[in-house]
Parts: sequence; structure tokens; C-alpha cells
Amino acid sequence: MAFTQFVVNGLLIGAIFAGVAVGFALIWGVVNIINLAHGDMVMLGGYTSYWALSLITGNAEGSPLLFLATIPIAIAVLYVVGYVLQRTLVSRVIGTDIFLTLLVTFGISIAIQQLAIQAWSANPRSIQVSFADPSINAAGLVIPKMKLVAFVGSLVLTAALYLFLQRTRTGRAIRAVSQNPEAAELVGIDVEHSRAVTFGISSAIAGGVGAFIATILNIQPQMGLIYTLKSFVIVVFGGVGSIPGALVGGLLLGTVEELTAGFVSSQWTLAVSFTLLIVLLVVKPNGLFGQEAER
Amino acid sequence: MSTGESDSSGRLLRSIVPPAQVERLFDFCDTHAWKLLLAIVIVGALPPLLGLRQGYYMTVISEMYIFAILALSWDIVGGQTGYPSFGNMVFFGIGGYTTAILVKNFSIAFPVAMVAAGLLAVAFAAVIGAAVLRLRGHYFAIATLGVLLAAQQVSRIIGITGGASGKILLDVPQGTVFYYLFFGVLVAEMAVVYYLSNTRFGFILNAIRDDEEKATAMGFNTAYHKTAAWMLAALFTGLAGGGYSLFNTFLNPQTAYNSAWNVELIAMALLGGSGTVAGPVIGAFGLHGVIEYVETAFVGWQLVILGIVVVVTVIRFPEGIVGTLKEYAGEMEYYKRGGMAAVENDDEVTNDE
Repeated sequence: MAFTQFVVNGLLIGAIFAGVAVGFALIWGVVNIINLAHGDMVMLGGYTSYWALSLITGNAEGSPLLFLATIPIAIAVLYVVGYVLQRTLVSRVIGTDIFLTLLVTFGISIAIQQLAIQAWSANPRSIQVSFADPSINAAGLVIPKMKLVAFVGSLVLTAALYLFLQRTRTGRAIRAVSQNPEAAELVGIDVEHSRAVTFGISSAIAGGVGAFIATILNIQPQMGLIYTLKSFVIVVFGGVGSIPGALVGGLLLGTVEELTAGFVSSQWTLAVSFTLLIVLLVVKPNGLFGQEAER
Repeated sequence: MSTGESDSSGRLLRSIVPPAQVERLFDFCDTHAWKLLLAIVIVGALPPLLGLRQGYYMTVISEMYIFAILALSWDIVGGQTGYPSFGNMVFFGIGGYTTAILVKNFSIAFPVAMVAAGLLAVAFAAVIGAAVLRLRGHYFAIATLGVLLAAQQVSRIIGITGGASGKILLDVPQGTVFYYLFFGVLVAEMAVVYYLSNTRFGFILNAIRDDEEKATAMGFNTAYHKTAAWMLAALFTGLAGGGYSLFNTFLNPQTAYNSAWNVELIAMALLGGSGTVAGPVIGAFGLHGVIEYVETAFVGWQLVILGIVVVVTVIRFPEGIVGTLKEYAGEMEYYKRGGMAAVENDDEVTNDE
């Protein structure tokens, strides 16, 4: 029974990882940049929701509906942050050395994280939602309600991103840019704008997921890097630029981590994830769903 | 910088420091490199003899030497070989824990422990290099970052490292010992890197950076050269870490695998000019000076500044100080060959080729 419980926990948390990783995968696929500041968007999204709720209720507690109402705010704010970052800073290093792009996003990450510490202190915070207790008991499994809400919310955001890319005109433009920027420009697509929109929606999804994270775990200014690295593991697993791949990769990583935490110790999850990453990179560098990626 | 600078300020700069002068300076440094290094040794040996034995400045200068060692080590692999690592601090941490554990738990003499720290870092580099040096670009960078975080996590869990609370080392040598120790390691490293940059080994590293497939096709054992460079970087980083744990009298997972330093050392190499010998050292002294000043003047803001410095450096001066100067000095070369006129003249071009 313990095994099933761990797998269920893993899937619940894995959907959240997937929600963070899809944006990371999209930026990597479309702009060909590893956005090391991606995890900080999760952090900023969590704080946006936290402060919005605090502003309404006076403290960071509220009814589930009120909490859900803060998510569009987090998404909108983070869309603007992502769009502006790409337009002002990241666009200047596109097409240069890969290493320089990594370093710029790393520099942005440090600056955001440290400014957040200055503004909001390093104390962990969390959002309390009133209906969270008691947990659901079904067939011997314990499922915390908020984890279920976060699970569904992350899946909805991921699905929304997928549909946006498949169905809308902007989404098609983004996919065109990812396949061939020059040809996209020739048929009249504003490449710079499409890239900035990619950054914007990726950050927005990460921010929305960050709000859910604030209800089930903690948020604190230095949480970002871990989410960035987990996203990397997931994307390597699922394949660059593939949203279904990122979803499967996220659920798998969550399961592996929860099983490690359950049967060994929660301290070893990080070491296990990164060992898995290095083994994967050496054995199967293109991921499960990836096309032949350039290395 | 040709971009963004207004023409009048550029002209003013040219009249004060003409490119030819800068070029002469580079020529001078090239021909007298070993003598310059000797001069550095003499100047560097002076402060303790002149009475600076302890206190704030002693610590700051020693830290500058540490950072110069770290930045130069990073540059052996990142700048010279073209494998930008985001996990160099892992060797520092391993070196630091080695001396801390050997000196405290096994009462082994500090010099012996230092040697062990260097060797252990090299051994770890050999093992981990076999896996990560097969990767390129993004994958290499993130894999090394993953190694760093995994190592930090492991040192938090296992008992001999003192776990999350770390190790306190009380019985340590005095400040001047560390001053000369770090200075000695730095000078040795500068000599080694400079020597290698003029050997076949150094040229092969640069060839790997410029085009690894071509280098392989020319019959060079790139795997061997990459791993050797990686181990060399690990040796010096490990030695610096080995000295640091006792210098700091305290070591925990946060300080041993310091993620801020991890970025700082890359920024230093880049700011000074990666791929050169003097660049990372100049960058380390300059940036550490700035960060140290910000740390005392505006407590808590030093990392904000670090992030901004990294972003601005990458966007505005990706060549670094030394690289930009070299470009500036090379301006005259273009005119000596006749500028655009030379390109239009077919004979000239064929002669060049």
C-alpha cells in the first residue's frame, strides 16, 4: 500500500514539475536558450499570488475561490516580466555563444533572487487556503485537497499552453519561429515579438504554477534554481521543445523523487535526480520524445 | 568599444592612449612575460615583510588570490578549451573538506593534507570528467551544475563532513602562512598556464575550443586533452579549497560549495578576458575589490551587484578587459595593411594567402 501512496504523491507533485518544465522546454525549443531564470518566475508567481491575497484579506489566508482568483493576476504579471526580460536583455545575446546566453540568464536569476530577498526577506512563506483540511481518504490513500487542486491546476495550464500553440495564430507563429526563424521572417512573422511572447507565456505558466506551489509547499526567494534544474532534467528526459514529453517527464521525475523519499530518505531526492540526469545525458541525450537535437 | 560610443570621446581616447601604445604594451608583456612574473613575485612577497601581517586588508588580499586561482582554473577549461563549466566549485569543496577532515579527524599535518586535497580533487575530476566531458554546450553546463548541487547535498547528509552544521577548525596556522600559500599557488598556476599556452598542448586545447570535430579529424586525442585540462583545473581549485577551509576556520556545505562564488569566478574570468593568462587574474582582483566595497558600504546588496555586473559584462563586453584592449590595439594592424584598399587589390589578398 505504501508503494501506491508514494506513486500517487509522486504523480501529484510531478504535475507541478511538469507545469514548470513546459515553459522551460518551450523557450529552449523556440528561442534556443536555456533560461536559468525560469525557476525565479515560479518564485515571483508565488509571491504575486501571496501579496495579492494579503492585500484582499489582510493576511495570506483565504477561501479557495479567492485564491483561484489571484492566479490570473500572477499569470498576467509574469507574462509582462517575461516579455520585458526577453525584449530588453535576452534578445541581445540570441545567436551568440551558448555560454553567453547561459550567463545572462544566470545573472538575471541572481539579480531577481537577491532583490526578492531585499524586498521580502529570506523567510519562507505560504498561502493558507481555508478548505485544505481534512485530506481526502479514498481506498486507503491519503490525498491532500490542495495537492489535488494544484495537480489539476498545473494540468490545465499545461493543456492551455498546448492548445494555444496548436490552435491560435500566435501559437502557430511561435512554432514557425522554432522551426526556421529566417523562413518565418520571410512570410511576415515578427520574429522578435514571437520570441518575446514565448518568453512571456512560458513565464506566465511558471508563475501560475508558482501560485499553486505557495499553497502546498513554501515559497522563498532562493527556491528558483532547484526548479530550473528539475525542469532541465525533465526536458532532457522528455526531449527539447516537446510539451507531451515535458508532461510525461515531470510525472516520472515526481514519482522517482517520491519513491526515493519514501523508501530511502527525502534528503537523497536531489542527489538521485541529478545522478539520473547525468546517466540520461550520457545514455539517451535526445530524450524520449525529442527529435534529433543538436548537441 | 565601437558600438554606442560617441565619436568625439573615441577620438579623445585615441589621442590620449593611441592603439599603437597599447599594442606596444602587449608586445612588451609577451617578450618579457617571465620577467614580469618575477616582478609580480617580488611585489607580492613584500606586504607581510613590510608589516602587513593580519587584519582586514590581509584577509581581503588573500581572498583576492583565492579568487584569482579559481577564475584562472575555470579559464583553463572554460576559456582555453571551450567547455564552460558551471560547477567548478565542486573541486573547491572537495579540497576544503579533505583538509578539514584530515586535519581535524585524523590529526594529519596541514601540508600533507593540502597535497591530499589537490590529489583527491584531481581524482574526482578524472571520474566525473569521463561522463560530463562527453557532453557539449547547454548539456555540459547544466550537468556540471548538477554535479555541484549533488555534491553539496551529499556533504549535507553524510556524517564525516559534519552535516549541515559543518566543521569548525580552531588550531590553524597564522595569516601570513595562508597569504604566501595562496600567492604561491596563484603564481605557480600563472606560470603553468602561461607555459602551456605556448606549447603544443595549449594549442590543441584552443583547437578543441575553436572546432572540436576538426581537431579530432586532425588526429588529436581530444578526449585525453580535455580530461587533462579539466584535471589541471581541478588540481588548482582543489588546492585553493584545501587552504581555504583552514584559512576560514569554518566549513559547511554552503561555504564549501558556495553557489555565489561559483558565478563570481566565471564573471571574473569573463570580465577580465577569458582565454588569456592575465585576464582572469585582473578580473578577480577588480571584481572582488568592487564586491568587497559594496559588502561594507551597502550590506546585502553585493549579490544584486554581482548579477547586474554579469548581465552587463556579457551584453556589453563579452571579450572582457584584456580582449577589448587587444581588439583596440589591433585596430592599427588593419590600417597598416592598407585598410579596405588592400581588400580591393587582388594581388595583396593572394599574397596574404
